[in-house]
Amino acid sequence: MKVALSWLKKYLDIPESVSELSDLLTFAGIEVEDVKELKALPASVIAARVVSAEPVPKTDHLQLCQVDVGEYPFAQKGEDNCVQVICGAPNCHSGMIAVLALPGSILTDLEIKSAKIRGIISNGMLCSERELGISDSHAGIIELPQDVLVGTSVNELYMLPDVVFDLEITPNRSDLLGYLGIARDLGAKLNRKLIEPELTELSVNFDRLKLGLKNMEPELCPRYTAQVFDNVQIAESPLWLKVALIKSGLRPINNVVDITNYVMLETGHPLHAFDYDKLASEDTNASHPDIVIRKARPKEEMLALDGRSYILEGDELVIADGQKASAIAGVMGSEFSGITPQSRRIVLESAAFHPGSIRKTSYKLKLSSDSSYRFERHLAADKAHLISQRASNLIQELAGGELCGPLYDEYPNPLPDQYLAIRPSRFQLLIGHSMSDAEIQAYLSCLSFEFKGYGRYQKGLQSSLEQLLVNDASVLPSQEYAHYYLVPSFRVDVSREADILEELARLSGYDKVPQKLVNQQIMDRHAYRIRNKIMDWMVNWGCYETLNYSFCDPRQMEDLGYEPQSLPFINLINPQSSNQSVMRVSLIPQLITNLAYNLNHAERNVKLFEQAKVYHKTETGHQEPMQMAAIFSGMRSAEHWQSKAQTIDFSWVKGCLESMLGSFHLPHTSRSCERPYLVTAESRAYFSEDTELGVFGRLKPELLAKWGIDLSILKQDVWIIECNVDAIVAKTRSVSITYQPISRFPAVLRDLSFLAPLQVQYQDIREQILAIDPALVQEIEVFDEYRSKQIPEGFRSLSMHIILQDQEKTLTDERVDQLMDLVQKTLTDKYDIRMR
Amino acid sequence: MQNQLATMLEEAGREIEACATANDILNTKAKYLGKKSLLNGLYGRMKDLEPSERPAFGNLLNEARQQLETLLNAKSSAIKAQSWKKENTDMDFSMPGMPSSRGGYHPLSIVRRQIDEVFISLGFEIAEGLDIEDEFHNFDALNTPADHPSRNLADTFYVEGGRLLRTQTSTVQIRVMESYQPPIRIISPGRCYRNDKPDPSHSPVFHQVEALVVDKGISMSDLTDTLQNFASIMFGARVRSRIRPHFFPFTEPSAEMDISCVACSGAGCRVCKGSGWLEMGGAGMVDPNVFDILGIDSEIYTGFAFGLGIERIAMLKYNIPDMRILFENDLRMLNQFRGEL
Repeated sequence: MKVALSWLKKYLDIPESVSELSDLLTFAGIEVEDVKELKALPASVIAARVVSAEPVPKTDHLQLCQVDVGEYPFAQKGEDNCVQVICGAPNCHSGMIAVLALPGSILTDLEIKSAKIRGIISNGMLCSERELGISDSHAGIIELPQDVLVGTSVNELYMLPDVVFDLEITPNRSDLLGYLGIARDLGAKLNRKLIEPELTELSVNFDRLKLGLKNMEPELCPRYTAQVFDNVQIAESPLWLKVALIKSGLRPINNVVDITNYVMLETGHPLHAFDYDKLASEDTNASHPDIVIRKARPKEEMLALDGRSYILEGDELVIADGQKASAIAGVMGSEFSGITPQSRRIVLESAAFHPGSIRKTSYKLKLSSDSSYRFERHLAADKAHLISQRASNLIQELAGGELCGPLYDEYPNPLPDQYLAIRPSRFQLLIGHSMSDAEIQAYLSCLSFEFKGYGRYQKGLQSSLEQLLVNDASVLPSQEYAHYYLVPSFRVDVSREADILEELARLSGYDKVPQKLVNQQIMDRHAYRIRNKIMDWMVNWGCYETLNYSFCDPRQMEDLGYEPQSLPFINLINPQSSNQSVMRVSLIPQLITNLAYNLNHAERNVKLFEQAKVYHKTETGHQEPMQMAAIFSGMRSAEHWQSKAQTIDFSWVKGCLESMLGSFHLPHTSRSCERPYLVTAESRAYFSEDTELGVFGRLKPELLAKWGIDLSILKQDVWIIECNVDAIVAKTRSVSITYQPISRFPAVLRDLSFLAPLQVQYQDIREQILAIDPALVQEIEVFDEYRSKQIPEGFRSLSMHIILQDQEKTLTDERVDQLMDLVQKTLTDKYDIRMR
Repeated sequence: MQNQLATMLEEAGREIEACATANDILNTKAKYLGKKSLLNGLYGRMKDLEPSERPAFGNLLNEARQQLETLLNAKSSAIKAQSWKKENTDMDFSMPGMPSSRGGYHPLSIVRRQIDEVFISLGFEIAEGLDIEDEFHNFDALNTPADHPSRNLADTFYVEGGRLLRTQTSTVQIRVMESYQPPIRIISPGRCYRNDKPDPSHSPVFHQVEALVVDKGISMSDLTDTLQNFASIMFGARVRSRIRPHFFPFTEPSAEMDISCVACSGAGCRVCKGSGWLEMGGAGMVDPNVFDILGIDSEIYTGFAFGLGIERIAMLKYNIPDMRILFENDLRMLNQFRGEL
């Protein structure tokens, strides 16, 4: 719903800024979808009278106009106060009051300048609503009422500057489908009183024009009121009314129709006006027309005000005259009974309809209107006569109608008053903070809930307060202590205590809801996940998990090649035995013990790991870093009749560690490493920046003898991996995966084969190639290494795929060739590499 | 000419049928439909006919062309389909498939992770602590008298620097309550140490999981509900649980927790020594003294705690008769659990 601030201010004192107001609406539960600021126009945009309009020769639509700007000071005007302007709008005619933008005026998207058009000087522009930024209408130039003073600033006429809010009203709040409803809610939020328009008592002197009224469907139309007027002057609406409608997105039509629309936007309750003289009687001899509220007849046809003809099926509710449908109830009126400039006598309808019936009709006919939109959200019946009165006041004031008799009012089953109990204690329980009796009453009074007294809580709507109110409510226990309110009939969405508690929570502000401490992030969830993932990785790589005691034999560290004094052992005061006398500083010795145990029990293929703490003495106390270590010997996998099992070797162990780090998206570098128990040439350590993440390598065969493992008999290598789990946890905290757009252009694969000196490392070659054009070279995959007598001494042959791809365009052969040439040149220059 | 056409069609049909490869199809197509084909030649000879005969003959030629194309296409599709329709009939389908090279978790890890999952799903967080602790967190803060026998060298391992190896994961409760105000809902799984010689039901190193809940309005019924939830999820929906009075210095009232025997469902058997119940661990409402030591207002907050032995749960769950088996790391034991988790 479009809501203009200038109009809204009629009902509520609103000094707030636009952004404050947006926030207030949003946090009152009314979503602001769009805010359109209607800027003030320059003072040089004024009302002006078109004195003459003559066609410009040899054009089909341009007119040369003399426009009277009155006393407005402007250099280019003639002695008769006239300005010469060329205008192309078809509705431009002499005598009209138009809007003139004088040269120098800056409108939304153009600056007005004096210009020559077809050799004739034009000193300004006559404007449409769109050019002024008031609406999207560009049908022609604006024609102002004749009583507008020439030279008046348009800002005054159009109440500019202004702001139009586009509000989304949730389907449960039919009461917010009008300005008064919005103002009421906003007023409750701000604790300000609503200013309701005053109703003038209608004086009825005549009883001339009769109307027959018959409601055959009281279920679908719980209330129908009709007011008959005579001597109505159908004319254009006054400018303020037109401007109000335009800003709210409606087109002005004539005063009566505009008034029904105005009252609809004001109250949220649609009205309709019929031409009394077009309505037929049921009995042709009768002297007065009839209105019959009935279901449509099968195949009954009606030409509606939108110019389309609708064929009804029979279950739609219609407002008919004595003969035929003259409106699809609550949806749209008929063409024949509509208000025309010739109408003199009119019938004003203010009614209530069953929301489901309106929704069904609107859906079936694929016809929805501002009226059906409101009725299908359920409007209460009991204020229909007041809404009629409001419109009648305006008709009398603006169209000079005379009232022809009292209001016809068919309202067989008036709604009873409904009372609802709410407990402050329940508010505290449900929302989390407390509200005083006075605060609750203030909010609800602004929402038109009438406070009736204190009493014992009863669930649900009550039709009588007898026996519920209590004189001294303070004696009631808090869970029964309740306020009783009369529910305003327009709040069709309120029927339970929870509905009102929601209102209170919303108006006092969701920002007041205290945040209850439930979870304090005691758990290090990241560490927990990473540790589990490391274990998962090792298990999936083929390892079994072991668990060993936390204490160990210090001599085993010597067996690994360490100086015992160099290790940060924590000694037990009361060990059970000398081989369990210190807290372990490494997981390796026990894993070798586990290996030996299993080898002794005839298991040849052993892959074990343990993830556990080790214990280091420090200057100030001790640390318990988490480590993971694995030991491997034998075959990679079980034997299978189809494929021969492969031996665990350097590249298999390397793959385990490298791809684990890769699975964590951890950028890493590797270099050879020194450990007293590892064969240096066959060991590597992995780093992220300067932090060691892990190492792997082959255990020195000679030290295994200390564990009773004789490799000369066993004839298989023993490999280990050690990971610094805490470092991996710490380094992965900042890792995030970011999706990379997939190139729309095909990748190109080129192969490269060359002889490389033995001392040149693959890693260096790879980095060289990648560095040549990182944007282009996506991947390098080595697929063959070959050493033999055919190859010159001191060389090996390497073959690799180079995968190239551009994000922006298809790679041409030329570009690829250039790059490959560069690769060859770089490698030959740098490493004495020979292409094959 | 019509005879020629008929002979050609017959011949072409035979040849198409004999095609075995995509290449054969191409050759046959060139021969019968190509530029130098008989059919193409016949089109050229149309001009020799009487104008009145031409349309009929033209139709005939078109039909022949269509017929050949249909045959060629059908054969071509059949050849394509055939080329990847490989049927093995001489294979022994009972031969073993490719084995997985996956390893497995230690049964204590399996149980520990299951317990984690149970409690995380119940809204608990996992808290961690140190294995090497001081006497305050292991004993004093847990309301253990200074002369309590559990503090002896015969019961507790001590390390240099006056510290000890924690005898229970309750130390983590204390650490958490030192750093956080309630509400607290944690479990803390981890290693514990007691100076027991390894035997079928003892190990100097073992694993516990401790649960602690502190909040407003926590009562013993929160404890029994959590215990029942845990028992049902770990051991099955039919398992019942109970608590019975006991004594611990850090809880008041204190209780032992039992679950109905997982072997006999409570009827009484060798596993439960005829009682129908299995002891699960100690529990109770946090002693107000513990709260006082930690500066938590015991008038506002109440809490419960319990501890479970992971070895015991694993042994019950998997029918492992001797705790020492769990620390031998024998692959013949470990690989029995490769499918679990």
